[in-house]
Amino acid sequence: MEDKRTTSDEDISTLLEKAGEGDRQAFKDIVSLYQQKVFLLAYSILRNREDALDVVQETFMRLFQKLDTYEKDRNFQAWLLQIAKNLSIDYYRKHHGRRREMESDKSVEELPLAAEGHWSNPESSELRHVISRNLERLGERQHLIFVMKHFNGLEYREIAQVLGISVGTVKSLHFKAVRNLKNWLSPQLGIQP
Amino acid sequence: MSERDREEIRRHIETCPACADEVRTLERLLESADSLGQNMKATLAGIDWDAQAEKIVAAVWDEKARPEREPRRERAWLFAPRLRPVLAGLLLGIMVGAAAMFITYRSGVLEKPPAEAFFASSEFLGRVDQEMARRETLDYLEKSQYVLLELAQTQTESGNCRLTEAAARETRELLGKKRYLNPQLEKARMSKAKAICDQIELLFYELAQVSENLTPAQCRGIQNMIEEKNILLKIKLLKKELQESEV
Repeated sequence: MEDKRTTSDEDISTLLEKAGEGDRQAFKDIVSLYQQKVFLLAYSILRNREDALDVVQETFMRLFQKLDTYEKDRNFQAWLLQIAKNLSIDYYRKHHGRRREMESDKSVEELPLAAEGHWSNPESSELRHVISRNLERLGERQHLIFVMKHFNGLEYREIAQVLGISVGTVKSLHFKAVRNLKNWLSPQLGIQP
Repeated sequence: MSERDREEIRRHIETCPACADEVRTLERLLESADSLGQNMKATLAGIDWDAQAEKIVAAVWDEKARPEREPRRERAWLFAPRLRPVLAGLLLGIMVGAAAMFITYRSGVLEKPPAEAFFASSEFLGRVDQEMARRETLDYLEKSQYVLLELAQTQTESGNCRLTEAAARETRELLGKKRYLNPQLEKARMSKAKAICDQIELLFYELAQVSENLTPAQCRGIQNMIEEKNILLKIKLLKKELQESEV
């Protein structure tokens, strides 16, 4: 996959600089490198492929508008995913909020996760299925951290940058997410809660 | 966490079955979560990412081109060479107008001349006060005279003293009017007029306290008061004096 290509900070800075000067190919390279990571994050929040693709496009449009404001010292991926996260949440609240209000009386912060996906993998176990269902019950920050850690493969440091919180808070929230899941999944895991 | 702490925990887990179970549970949970993430990534396979990237870049470039074209057109129209003389004329007009305004303002032409102060001597103001008091007193005396004459006339005809409704209302109004007349008379130093008006006022107080249907005794009492104090005569003389002293 394209996003597996290793790209140094220097390469990204060069591409961003060129894109800022109007180099179409440089911008396309940036899109190619990061679109799948953005998609995974958006999809995990929106649970809809087309909506997630819309957010991916919107994210890169926003990125292009903000190219001038990018600071070279900053972690580009974290910055981009921060934009994607904010747009996904905005998109969700705008398009799904009303429907969700009618369906449930959960708070807006309890965003759903890409849980009921159409997993084509026949090896999907019951446990995975149950985990995916229970991820929805996590609070917004807990489930975002869980998704970014386990689905996007981000480090704690990168998640902290995306969410604008400290690494310690990320670790703490991740621990709470795991503990909650463990408690909810005790029967499936064969342990006492 | 230091390496030493880690080693200590590791050793504890090896010897503690409960903690070892807990760790195994968490590992199983996290492994499942990671494999869930892998499954999720499988959805990526169904998307043509090259086409998607091209679509995004095309949309961005289209968006980028749109806002630039529109203002350029506006600017081009505004600053077209054929409009330059007009713009220069407008600019020159604004500058000349501003300079003219500045010069006019500085010369003081626009400044309003100070309003002339109104001046009146204290003697004049005193005469105005006196004239106003004179007129008010004359009015008071005239109305009082009508009321008192009516009272005397009614008694003469029927032998039973009775005030008409109009006379009774007039009496109440004259009592009110006298309260406003007092300061005017004092200010105009019309002590004689004030003394006579006070006597009339006293009489009207007496009238206001009794009912409209006066008993013969009450009526006689008031009549005596008018006669004894020569109220009607005093009114007549004072009226004459005030009419003659018109300013």
